[in-house]
Amino acid sequence: MYKIRNKSIALLLIMALLFIIPGCGQKGSAGSSEDVIKLGFLGAKTGPVANYGIPGEKGMKLAIEELNAKGGILGKKVEGIYEDNKGDSAEIASIATKYITRDKVVAMVGDPCTGLTKVAADIAQKNGVVIFSPGATGPGVVEIGDYVFRNTLLDVFAVPAVVDWMMKEKGWTNFAIITSLNNGYSTALTPVFKEAINKKGGKIVLEDSINDGETDFTAQVTKLKRSGADVLVFTGYYTEAALIMNEVKKQNFDITLVGGDGLYGQDLAKLGKDAVEEKVIFYCGFSSDQPSPETEAFLKKYREKYGEEPDMFSAQYYDAVMILAKAMEDAKSTDPKVFKNELAKLKDYLGVSGKTTFLPNREPVKSPVCLITVKDGKFKLLDKIEVNVQ
Amino acid sequence: MDAWFAQYVDAYYLRIMVLIGINIILALGLNLITGVTGQLSMGHAGFMSIGAYTAAILTLHYGTSFVLALLSGSLMAAFFGFIIGIPTLRLEGDYLAMVTIGFAEIIRVFFLNFELGGKAVGLYGMQQYTTFSMVFILVILVVVLNWQLLKSRYGRALYAIRENEIAAEACGVNTTGMKVAAFTMGSFLAGLAGGLYSHYMGYIAPQDFGFMRSIEILNMVVLGGMGSIPGVMLGAAVLTVLPEMLRIVADYRLLFYGALLVILMIFRPNGIMGDMRLYDLKQRLRTKEVKTCRS
Repeated sequence: MYKIRNKSIALLLIMALLFIIPGCGQKGSAGSSEDVIKLGFLGAKTGPVANYGIPGEKGMKLAIEELNAKGGILGKKVEGIYEDNKGDSAEIASIATKYITRDKVVAMVGDPCTGLTKVAADIAQKNGVVIFSPGATGPGVVEIGDYVFRNTLLDVFAVPAVVDWMMKEKGWTNFAIITSLNNGYSTALTPVFKEAINKKGGKIVLEDSINDGETDFTAQVTKLKRSGADVLVFTGYYTEAALIMNEVKKQNFDITLVGGDGLYGQDLAKLGKDAVEEKVIFYCGFSSDQPSPETEAFLKKYREKYGEEPDMFSAQYYDAVMILAKAMEDAKSTDPKVFKNELAKLKDYLGVSGKTTFLPNREPVKSPVCLITVKDGKFKLLDKIEVNVQ
Repeated sequence: MDAWFAQYVDAYYLRIMVLIGINIILALGLNLITGVTGQLSMGHAGFMSIGAYTAAILTLHYGTSFVLALLSGSLMAAFFGFIIGIPTLRLEGDYLAMVTIGFAEIIRVFFLNFELGGKAVGLYGMQQYTTFSMVFILVILVVVLNWQLLKSRYGRALYAIRENEIAAEACGVNTTGMKVAAFTMGSFLAGLAGGLYSHYMGYIAPQDFGFMRSIEILNMVVLGGMGSIPGVMLGAAVLTVLPEMLRIVADYRLLFYGALLVILMIFRPNGIMGDMRLYDLKQRLRTKEVKTCRS
């Protein structure tokens, strides 16, 4: 008797939990009215890609704070909603649906990863809500529909400029390429590099592969040493790049590693130490060195608020919010159906992460491309290359 | 029916309900293997990914109809369950758990390097064929079949293997055969859930089916109550809804989630409805009075 009662009480409690708590959530959102503009944050605050989401959230919060201090957009207050998607595709789909149907956001800012952005973009497009990714560099994003935008340095525009720079400024013509096979970013970036090198008349003398998570690259580096390459193009992430350079140092020869913004991680310098000193160059859309006046102001506010250096993601999330605000102001409407057309017309927008123009197909062209190297254990700007809209 | 339904239920709830349905199918599959037969399998997500990828590749690259793709995905998963089951089910307990973890990893790495499956980027662009009514009907079908199976002679044989394998064998149960059969059926259901999942999300990548996913499914079975159909269904529902409800506590969500799991396991070590069957519930109500008299 006692046992049974215990059991039924436990069951009742769980059932109550199940039904009451979502109900509470509903009550909360029912209070939202027309005079608040809501923006949903997409990004991971925990999990393997949290390094991109956390600074992104900070940048977005800063932008919204600033907008509200200036009186909001079209006289309405702006409110950000920040859910953690853990870098998981099922999670981001639930969150995007929640933002749209529950919170009634007008736009979502995120996600920094291409695959996750596509999942959310599908949902946004179907429901007529703008999605603006400050990080998705891969192919097939804006093709999803006219509500989908992104503001980030695209590999297809940056890589030819970088290859050009390598051949003209440095005189490197023999390239070795190493791909990380279990890394989606890397497998997508390698063909872009190959095409650019072939087009500009460079020679690929070695193609090799590794896997993320491996630690011993003796075989690859031995082959690299024999190949006679002037420069090594590595398309993966920072951890493996540092380990490859350590091996290069151990085998005692001289070569520079060039890669994309996947190398933009503080661990590169920590793991590589003097093996990566001025021996690794990567491109990205943002650098806090030699700032423009816009960037200068942003850097100051960011350091004041958070006491740390902003990175590319904080700058691009910040810009995304500001660009959305501008589009709404210009369209004099907060209806995604209306302001998305204004958004698509964006031209030569001077943001904190450089100049942005949307092409007719809504793909962004960002300029300049920053080339970054490691000096004294810190990231330093090496050169800036202007990108021209063809 | 779905259009009618969408008018009254908001899309967020509908989405959670579909995910609950898919998770119920997944968990019931693992329940056959781990809950009923007592074979600790920690690689259920591997079979799910086989179903998900097979179905997605068929509809994407070969234009197969969804029903056929779903069926092929399930059969493919079942086939691999069978192939893997024959050698591995001679192992027991921890050893079997290790082999199944290993197998799930092999599948994951295979899909990482599989050209047709989009390698590390994954597959994208599947139509959203999976609807609420479809999942609802399939869940009912799976539950009824499970229930019929478990109360049959075969079901009792499976329970017997869990309770005492040697005794079961002595009573004439073909233990290896029954274990392989349970493993195959469980994999079939995982494949089915995988096919539904890939055509609901529209995007799958190898990392969606990692080790943590397997653990999550195992959690549903253990939390709900090993071997109990209503329990496993409740477990799947709770573990799908819980993370959504906990969005209120924002950044501490995962902490609360873990704490709740610990609390539940302390107070209900056999799961919410450990070993409770549908007809046990009825039985319990009937014997209640008898027990009261005695005490």
